[in-house]
Amino acid sequence: MLDPIVVDARGLPPPEPMERTLSALDDLVEGQEVLLLLYREPFPLYGILQRNGYAHRVESTQDGTFQIYIRRAT
Amino acid sequence: MQSTFEFEQAPPISVPYRFFLGGPPFAVAAGLLLAWMGPAALVSRWNPQLLALVHLLTIGFMLQIMAGALLQVLPVAAGASVPRSLWLAVVSQAGLVCGAVLLVTGFALGSALNFKLAIPVLGASVAVYVLFCGFALARTKAQGGTVLALRIAVPSLVPTVVFGGLLASVFGWGRQLPLMELLGAHVAWAFLGWGLILVMGVSYLVVPMFQLTPAYRPRLATALPLLSLLFLVGWTVLDLLDRAPALRMLLALMEAGVVTAFAVATLVLQRQRRRKQDDVTLRFWRTGMIALLAVVALALADLFTTDPVIQETLEILLGVLLIVGVFMSLINGMLYKIVPFLNWLHLQRVVSPVPNMKRMLDEKAMSGQFRMHLASLVCVALAVFLPWLAIPAGLLLAGSALWLEWNLAGAVLLFRRLARGPGVSLATVRPVSR
Repeated sequence: MLDPIVVDARGLPPPEPMERTLSALDDLVEGQEVLLLLYREPFPLYGILQRNGYAHRVESTQDGTFQIYIRRAT
Repeated sequence: MQSTFEFEQAPPISVPYRFFLGGPPFAVAAGLLLAWMGPAALVSRWNPQLLALVHLLTIGFMLQIMAGALLQVLPVAAGASVPRSLWLAVVSQAGLVCGAVLLVTGFALGSALNFKLAIPVLGASVAVYVLFCGFALARTKAQGGTVLALRIAVPSLVPTVVFGGLLASVFGWGRQLPLMELLGAHVAWAFLGWGLILVMGVSYLVVPMFQLTPAYRPRLATALPLLSLLFLVGWTVLDLLDRAPALRMLLALMEAGVVTAFAVATLVLQRQRRRKQDDVTLRFWRTGMIALLAVVALALADLFTTDPVIQETLEILLGVLLIVGVFMSLINGMLYKIVPFLNWLHLQRVVSPVPNMKRMLDEKAMSGQFRMHLASLVCVALAVFLPWLAIPAGLLLAGSALWLEWNLAGAVLLFRRLARGPGVSLATVRPVSR
């Protein structure tokens, strides 16, 4: 399994988290995931992902970080 | 992949902007009314003109802008888009503006007819607003502190308006109702239910997002609005039934603890922010949180005071700090982040490259307006003790609100110019200079 491309967007002002995530998705290779770290759930991003053929899953941690794993939908 | 954002969920930019531009003129009117009332303004909280002034600020400025901001925040914070948002914005804003004017003139002129008209107008516009936003909040699958807080805050507008409507019916129809108990419930649900829980929910989103701090702890973020609701319901029921004074006191103290925890948590997070330089929003937000701690201290002093003269002074000062110090500061600071961001977001569709967000509003103009807001806060608070200060305090309050409107209007005009003008050189875009 390939290591995910990590986008740690905590502490980045908008719109950098969205821009960096979309840029990272362009670099994805088959079977790889983007791991986005953020202090909120990026709801506007979800619609973009769905329309462009990506699936995502979310996990939250005790320090308030959301871990969003994004991969090509099969 | 395309790097432009999708807009299916976001409302048209005119939805939040109509509320944002509609709010400050009410604060200008409030400032002018304070100056016109002069030294007698802040002597008694039962002065009808002071009640008019309070509702210019709470409905005209605060509620209007908060209602508009929420329509914008819901899709971002909760993935919940409000159906028919433009229609809702037009109808609810018209109702809020007309209702505020009727209520304020009802107080100022002692007109029973205006009260009779204000009740259904405000009641209907708030009901429609709560229904549509409630629908969006009920459908979303989002979890967490922000959504929970919004799900409590939005329905809290209902008891706020019901208790307020009952109070207004005393003036409109001369009904015999327990004024003090209804007033306590109206004020508690307005500020602690709707106002402060909304601020909590929005803070969980925007403080880390715009002020680049760590996140609020998830357990704290869910506990604060839940406990607030619990204490508020318990206190209201016991107060209306005039039962269990010791338990009521305990609930009030615990609510003071919740509010303190929220303010302290926010201030601590701000100290932990990644970029140490201050910006104007941070200064507004910090002012709001320090004022919130002062409000708690005053409320505690009020709880343990039996002298009615001291109580009256404490409660007027508390009102000043809560409205001007907490809510006007937070709203003002928030607008200075939201408006440049919305300009940038919506311009993406029409121009490329989009100018930097920092070019949307002039930093010096925002800082100047912050200083004027701070001066007005200090001056209005001091006017509680030095009545002659009411005139300069009112003029400062009006001046600060006018400056805010001017700054916001500049950003909106810049958006229109960029959105419409294909010949505009984006490299030369600057905030509208004054």
